[in-house]
Order: sequence, then structure tokens, then C-alpha cells
Amino acid sequence: MPGLPSSVDLDECIDRLYRKELLADSVIEAICAKTKELLMKESNVVHVQAPVTVVGDIHGQFFDMIEIFKIGGYCPDTNYLFLGDYVDRGLFSIETISLLVCLKLRYPSRVHLIRGNHESRGVTQSYGFYTECSRKYGNPAVWHYFTDMFDYLSLSCVIDDKIFCVHGGLSPSIHSIDQIKIIDRFREIPHEGPMADLVWSDPDAERDEFSLSPRGAGYTFGAQVVKKFLEVNSMNHILRAHQLCNEGFMVMFDDRLSTVWSAPNYCYRCGNLASVLEVGPGGERHWNVFDAAPENEVHRLEQQQQQQMQVGSDPVRDYFL
Amino acid sequence: MASNGSDSGAGTKSYTTQNGTWRITTRKLPILKATPIDQLSNDLGIPIPEMIFGDNLVSIIHLPTAWTLSFNARDALDRVSKTEEGMLQVAVAEEWKKDRKEAMVKDEVKSVVKPFDWSYSTDYRGSTDVGGNPILFFETVDLYEDELADNGIALLSIKIRVMPERLLLLSRFFLRLDGVVVRIRDTRVYIEHGSEKVIRQYTAKEESYAVLQEKLKGMRENAPEAFRDANVLAPLLRTEVDEVEVFEVG
Repeated sequence: MPGLPSSVDLDECIDRLYRKELLADSVIEAICAKTKELLMKESNVVHVQAPVTVVGDIHGQFFDMIEIFKIGGYCPDTNYLFLGDYVDRGLFSIETISLLVCLKLRYPSRVHLIRGNHESRGVTQSYGFYTECSRKYGNPAVWHYFTDMFDYLSLSCVIDDKIFCVHGGLSPSIHSIDQIKIIDRFREIPHEGPMADLVWSDPDAERDEFSLSPRGAGYTFGAQVVKKFLEVNSMNHILRAHQLCNEGFMVMFDDRLSTVWSAPNYCYRCGNLASVLEVGPGGERHWNVFDAAPENEVHRLEQQQQQQMQVGSDPVRDYFL
Repeated sequence: MASNGSDSGAGTKSYTTQNGTWRITTRKLPILKATPIDQLSNDLGIPIPEMIFGDNLVSIIHLPTAWTLSFNARDALDRVSKTEEGMLQVAVAEEWKKDRKEAMVKDEVKSVVKPFDWSYSTDYRGSTDVGGNPILFFETVDLYEDELADNGIALLSIKIRVMPERLLLLSRFFLRLDGVVVRIRDTRVYIEHGSEKVIRQYTAKEESYAVLQEKLKGMRENAPEAFRDANVLAPLLRTEVDEVEVFEVG
């Protein structure tokens, strides 16, 4: 397997990204190509061992991701499993995904990244990542490098054969883990079918079985579905992300399923807490709950000052058009 | 931000006009926790949007008479259709229906148990109760927002601005259902502090996604970006309702 070009020093890239500096687009291109090669070899179901810290949606909230490393430990001292939705919504999707990808390349067995519904060409055009790439680099080339790489991300992970981890949830087409292994995942996330369900579906505490969403596409799954899936696959817990919770996490179905949410004060205005789940060597689960990083506020005030210094700018313009 | 009022609880700001006639109050708090969300869902009989600012509030009180116009998420959601009537479907729903037939035969998938207008379209105009031009007070208060499972966005948000002679409020519901439709439902409230009239204008606008895409192309706009900005889209929509009401509160 060819290495990275000699001009690319991963440790230097990581140092720069911790300082929130952007990498050159040629470096992003090389890093994404290299990541594809690495991810291509991973199964659709990656097996990992505890201890591992599991992270939910980050959505480009770079300062809050750094907060996770501060409270949960830096790589490679802590093993990490990220459950997807790295980009869109927040102000720093590029810095966030660049750092995660460099950490994955540098410590491939200690950092695992799986795919969320936002790791997709379609969704990132509507929710900010495409626009951020065009603005920060002057053209959408890096968006192409990243989204092409997203097609290679794995779909799920199993911790110590006991905890099934996925971005969204279960699918009516999937009863056993082996059915996930045979999905052809190297593609854009389709609109329907098992691959779509894994990144899209939500649990529903009021139902037992699968239900169709009133939206006309997508499923919710209930208590009996979860119980049966765990029995068939000899597991004891499902861990997923994908849904905002004010408390930072939510446990359902008699402790058989939990949601981990890792974007505090989501979109810089929801006021919610966030968490990471630390799974210990004996399978014990500990929620590490955290609030928004103070750097967010510092950044906001700086932006405000800059805006006020621009002549003629009015923060409430266009207000009543 | 200017705040000259009293009774400032958590997240609360209020402003009383210089002539002592009108008091504007806003409250901005975090999204609701799990238990209040369940309660609200039970009360209203529909699932609650992803981001629910259930404690947020904007109110305008005419102090001499206690006449009040207030805006809150609960009352706005109560105006969302709870039947199948006018229910939108996402762009890929047809593809899904084929798949659903197979899945239903296969067994466990139940059909939609309780239809409701999941786009959270509301014709809410605020809840009434009988009871130079510098900006003295300005606030933006979100009531709810939902990404529609990444099929677009539904957002109900209020902006209020108070000036020495008048105040203006805009409550905007913005719906973009990707590949299907864009809707904007604006309620504007104008009050001259010296008068005892409240003028409320409700405007509902709508246009199909395909038509908007063509218009944006003609304008050489960056379509993905334009579709995220209600202010760009608003002038391109067809007006379906435009009503003005005048409340005499004196």
C-alpha cells in the first residue's frame, strides 16, 4: 500500500488541526485518498474491545469536540468510536472531519469512524458542509474529496460481542448481524433499504414493532424489535446517536437501548447538554456529560465585534422585508 | 440589549415603551427535557419537533387594558393539522410505497399509526387574551424547528424590534420540503405606541420546489445556498393568503 506523499506529515497536520487551522486542499486530497484505502479493508461491522469511549453527533462543533478530548482523554491514550454526523450545522465541519480523519490514519486501531446520515452528498448540500467548503476554499473540490471518502465509512460496530453500535437504528430487513455484513456499502446512502435504515431510523417507546414514519419514508422501531434483535445476536445493548436530547443522552426499553448525543448547545442555541459513553473493560457503561466549551462564546463575541467594525452593517437588517 | 423592565426571570427580558403603554416580554430557555416533551406530546396528540423551545415566549401587553398578544410553541403546534388532510409526503415516498408493500407482506411493519401533519405547518398568528429610529429592544425567539429527518426544514421563529415611535414583530413559519415545496407563513404586527391600534398582517406564500429551482437558475443564484435562506426565497413564492386585521385596544 503506497504511503502518503512525503510532503504530508500526519503529526504536523494533527497539531495544526488541534489549533483549528485548515489544511491545504492538496493535503486534504491525499489524506482522503489514503483514508479510503484504509476504510476499504474494514467490514460493515467493525469489532472492537472495551475500554472505548463512544461519541455521538458532533455536527461541526469543533470547540465541543476538543472539549471531548479534554474530558475523555486524547488519542491514542483513549480509544474512540465515533457514531457519525461529523459535518453540517456547526461552523467548523471541515476542521472537525479533517482532524478525525487524520486521527484515524495516525491511530487506525484506536479510532473508529462509522457513517451517519449526514455523511452523504445529498444531505451535506442542504445542511451547510457544501457551503462551508465552497466558502473556506473558494471552490467545492474538498467537498468532493470528503464526500467520496464518506462512501467507504463502515456502517456499524460491535463492542466485545455485546453492544451493537450504529448511527440511527434497526431495519426491518435486518434480523442478524450477518445481514449487515453482506450490504454493498461503497456508495451514496440510498433512499431506502437496509443501509438507509441503519443511518436513519429512530426508536419509539410507544410501539412494539416497526412503524412507518408519517413522513412517507423511514421507520421507527419498538421494544419488541429491540429485544428480538438482541436475543438473535446474543447481545445485551444497542447504542446509537442521531437524536437530540436535552440531557445529552437517553436510555430506553429497560436499558436495552441508549442514545448518545455529543453536540452541546446544538446549533449554538438549543441550550442542551451533551455526553460521551465510556464503556469499561467489564462492559460497564458510564455517561460523561458535558456542557458547551467556553471557546464558543469567545468566538461568537469576536465575530460580533468584526461585524460591528464593518461599515454600514446592521445585525437586524432585512428584518421586516 | 436594552432591558428596562422588571420581573426578569431566567432567560426573560422585558421592555416598556416610554409612554408606559406597551410592555414587550421575551423568554429564551433551552429546549425541553424528555419528560415535558412526553407530556406535551400527550396533550397535543402529535409527536414533538426535534428542537422544541417549549418555554420560549414573546408577548406584547397593552398595559392600560391588559390586552395581550402572545406567541408560544404549544399554541402554535396546536394549530398543526392532526389528520391526514393536506399531509405532505417526502420526495422519495413513491419509491417507498413499493418497498412498503413487500415489507408489509413480510410481516412486522405497521402502517402509519397516527397520521399528522409532520411538516409542522401552522397558521398560528399568536394567542390573544382580553386582558430617528434607533432600535431600543431587539430579540429573536425560536419556538420550534425540525429537520424533517433531513428532508428539509420546518422552523417557527419570531423577531421583535422596538423603536421610539413603534414596534414591529415578525413571526415566520418557514418550510422547505426538499424536492417538493417551500412555504412561508408570516405574521407581522405593527403598533404605533401613541395609538391604541394593533395591526396584524398574515401572509401565506407557497411555491413548488421545481418552479423555484427554475427561477433561481434564471437569477444565477447558487441554488443549494438560496434554498437555505427564507429571505431569498420569500419574493419568489406565490401569495395565497394576505389578510390584515386591526385590533382596537383602547
